[in-house]
This record gives sequence, C-alpha cells and structure tokens, in this order.
Amino acid sequence: MLDKLMNMDRRIVFILVALAVIIPTKLRVNLPISVSEPTQKLYDYIDNLEADSTIMIAFNYGPAGLPELHPMGRAVLKQCFDKDVRVIGVTLAPDAPTLANTLMEEIAQESGAVAGKDYVFLGYRPGGSLVMLGMGTSIASVFENDYNGTALAEIPIMENITNYDQISLLVDFASGNTTEGWINYANTQYNLQIASGVTGVIIAQMYPFLQTGQLVGLIAGIAGAAEYERLIDAPAKGMQWINIESFVHLLIVGLVILGNIAFFIRNRQEE
Amino acid sequence: MKRQVPLVLCFLFGVGIILTRFSPHPYSQFFYEEVNSWVLIITPFALVLATVTLIRAHVTRIRRRTEYWQYSFIVFAGIITMVVIGVPYGPQHFVFEWLFNNIQVPMDATMFSLLAFFIASAAYRAFRARSFEATLLLVTAIIVMLGNVPVGDLIWSETSSVKQWILNNPNLSARRGIILGVSLGVISQSIRIILGIERSYLGGGD
Repeated sequence: MLDKLMNMDRRIVFILVALAVIIPTKLRVNLPISVSEPTQKLYDYIDNLEADSTIMIAFNYGPAGLPELHPMGRAVLKQCFDKDVRVIGVTLAPDAPTLANTLMEEIAQESGAVAGKDYVFLGYRPGGSLVMLGMGTSIASVFENDYNGTALAEIPIMENITNYDQISLLVDFASGNTTEGWINYANTQYNLQIASGVTGVIIAQMYPFLQTGQLVGLIAGIAGAAEYERLIDAPAKGMQWINIESFVHLLIVGLVILGNIAFFIRNRQEE
Repeated sequence: MKRQVPLVLCFLFGVGIILTRFSPHPYSQFFYEEVNSWVLIITPFALVLATVTLIRAHVTRIRRRTEYWQYSFIVFAGIITMVVIGVPYGPQHFVFEWLFNNIQVPMDATMFSLLAFFIASAAYRAFRARSFEATLLLVTAIIVMLGNVPVGDLIWSETSSVKQWILNNPNLSARRGIILGVSLGVISQSIRIILGIERSYLGGGD
C-alpha cells in the first residue's frame, strides 16, 4: 500500500491535475486577492504620470508565455489608455508581433484610443541589446517605420519623441531575460525607468533589481496579473486563472505531503 | 592571415567601444553610434544563418532516414508556407495571421501547458524530506507555492508575508551572489576575447 502510494502511477497525477483545472473553471470560484508591494508600486508609478506622458511597452514573449503575460499586458494598457498616457509598443521576440499588435488594437478599441495618436506599435527588430542601446540614441535609427509600414515621421505620437529622454517608463513583459538587458543598457546608460511583468519562473531573478530601485515595479506571473486587474477594477483572465491555479497548487502541496507521510511511515517500519 | 584579421578587428573594436564609454567627445559618440548601427545591420544575417542551418540539418535527416525523418517534411512545409506568405505580403496578411493564431499559438501553448502535468508528477516523486537540506527546500517550496496563490492566505493569513520575506531575503542574497559571480566571469571572458587569449569563437578547435 505504502509503496503504491509512494510510486503512484503518473497518469493518476495527470488526471488529478486535469480535474484541479477543470472543476474550478466550471464552478467559477472567486477567492479574495491581496495586492503585493511590487505590483502596487508599478500601478502607482503609472497612476502618477501626467496625461500625455509616453511610456514604452516591450512585448517580449511568444505564444508559450501568452497565458501569463497577456492578462498583465491587457491590464497595463487599459490603465494607460484610461489615463491618457500614450503607449509605444515594441518587441525583441520574433514570434511576438502578431500577438502584441492584436492586443494593442483590442484594448485601444475597448478604451477608445486612436492609433498613431494615443498608441503605436513599432514591431520587431532583431539584435536584442543593440536595439535597446540604439533607441537610447535615436528610436528612428532602429525603427524607421511602425508595424504597418508608416514612416515614424508621419506618426503624430512620435512627433516629439527622439529617444529615451522623452519616455517616462519602459514596461517589459518578458518570458526570458530581456528585463536584465533593459536594466543594463537602458536604465544604467540612459536612465530610463524600467518596470517588468514576468512569467512565474523568472520572478525570483527580479528581486535584486527591485531592491536597488532599478525596477520601479514588478508584475509577478499570473498572480501579479490578477492583482493588477483588481487595482484597475477590471476583472478578467488574470483573476479567473489565479483562482484555478490555487487549486492546482493545493493539489501539488497535498500530493507532496501525502508522499512524505508515506515515506516517513515506511522508514519507521523499516527501522 | 585568416585568423589574424578577426583577432585584430576584435581587439580594435573591443577596446574602441570600451573607450567610448569613458569619453563624451563627439567623435567618440559618433564612433559608438556608428558601430551600433553596423551591428544592427549585421545581426539579421544571423537569422539567415539559422534558417540555412535548420534546412541543412533536416535535409540530412531525410537523406539518412534517421528516426522520425518524416517529420522533417512538416518543418519544410511550415517554413515554405510562412515564407511564401510572410515575405511578399508581410506578417499583417490575414492568411499569415490566421496560420499564426490558429496553428502556432495553440501548439506552442499546448507544449508549454504540458509542463504543469510533468512538474506535478516530478514534484510528487522528488520532494521527499530525506535530509535537513531537502526538508528546508521542501518547506520553502510549499510556502512559496501557497503564498503565490490567493488560497494560501485563507489557510494561514501570514503565508504571503512569509513568501515575500523568502523572496526579499534569502532569495535576493543568493541571486545577488550569482549576479556578481556571473558578471565577474563575463568581464574576465570579455577581456580574454578582446586580447585574443580566448579564440574558440573563431572555430577550428585552437
């Protein structure tokens, strides 16, 4: 019995995980969400920006990071458009342009933001750190056109934007290590304020930069997205999915405890 | 000559770029901006190189009839379809967007989602309190897992505070140590490359 419990067939674990996802999805469970300090800091930073300020959002994720990062992107964009903060979107990930452009258009439509005037998506450029450095000197030297091929000089939002000096904040939505790049190249060299929204696996890496103030705020995984949705009072996927994730985490913790109880009992019996 | 020229170029540009960081002179800034532009132009060629390498690898698989060689045809079908639509019409074309949204997005998301099942199974098998260190890891993992979801605070109201303390203190200290170590390693390796001591990037196994 104990051996069976300790070496549970992985298919049983898979079925339990599937049930832990499906049941709360169907029941639409709503658990109370408390806001963490790093999320609150980013919200406050954007909230304190003056209308007509410009922020840059880097959508550095592909379809794999979409479930965690799209909800936070949606929430930040909504806050910006509602506050009349203008948004310049860019990406350093080759599989992100379609996702980012669709998201920006979708939220702009919901909020009544106008393309070219309230927001623009510049698209993708290869080069990573060089793109970050290049925009510090001149954004037009890296992105000659926006995603739709319109020359930057013809886009009203870009009229008074030359480089990072006119950008109040950069928010990096990342499923990789791009945030560290923005800190090294855009913050340290050009003094651009950086905030980040990252997938769950990267959260721990961001804390040294939060402590030094190199990151003004952090949205940490789907939990952070849910917190941000609560702050802007617009419940969406983040709040729905964090409730589902609660049950999966509970299941894993339960299984780990169960496995350890069986492990201890067997050890006692052997002694 | 074949090896000396890249070594000299690497030295000159390496030292040159380092010097620009110490001088605000217009010539220095011009050199810095110019070199950045060159590299931005050169970088996309890496994508061409990657595509050629991918094609060569799959052609070899098909020629040698290695295991699952048939799947290489799917790779070619994918590349050709996206290139034929993407290059002349751009990624904004509705067919390109449809293929991306309805094939790549679900497939990529599915692959990533499968991790949840494997992680759950692996956690169940691996997290055993066999020693003091393993117990410490186990307890920390449980607190962080519960602290990351709303249900954690319902079980114990201090869960998220303890999780935050773990991230702000032991995690931060360890990460900072890693960052310092990696940074020193990067600096020393860069110096070795600029001075021509480290030459493995030239290939040829020297």
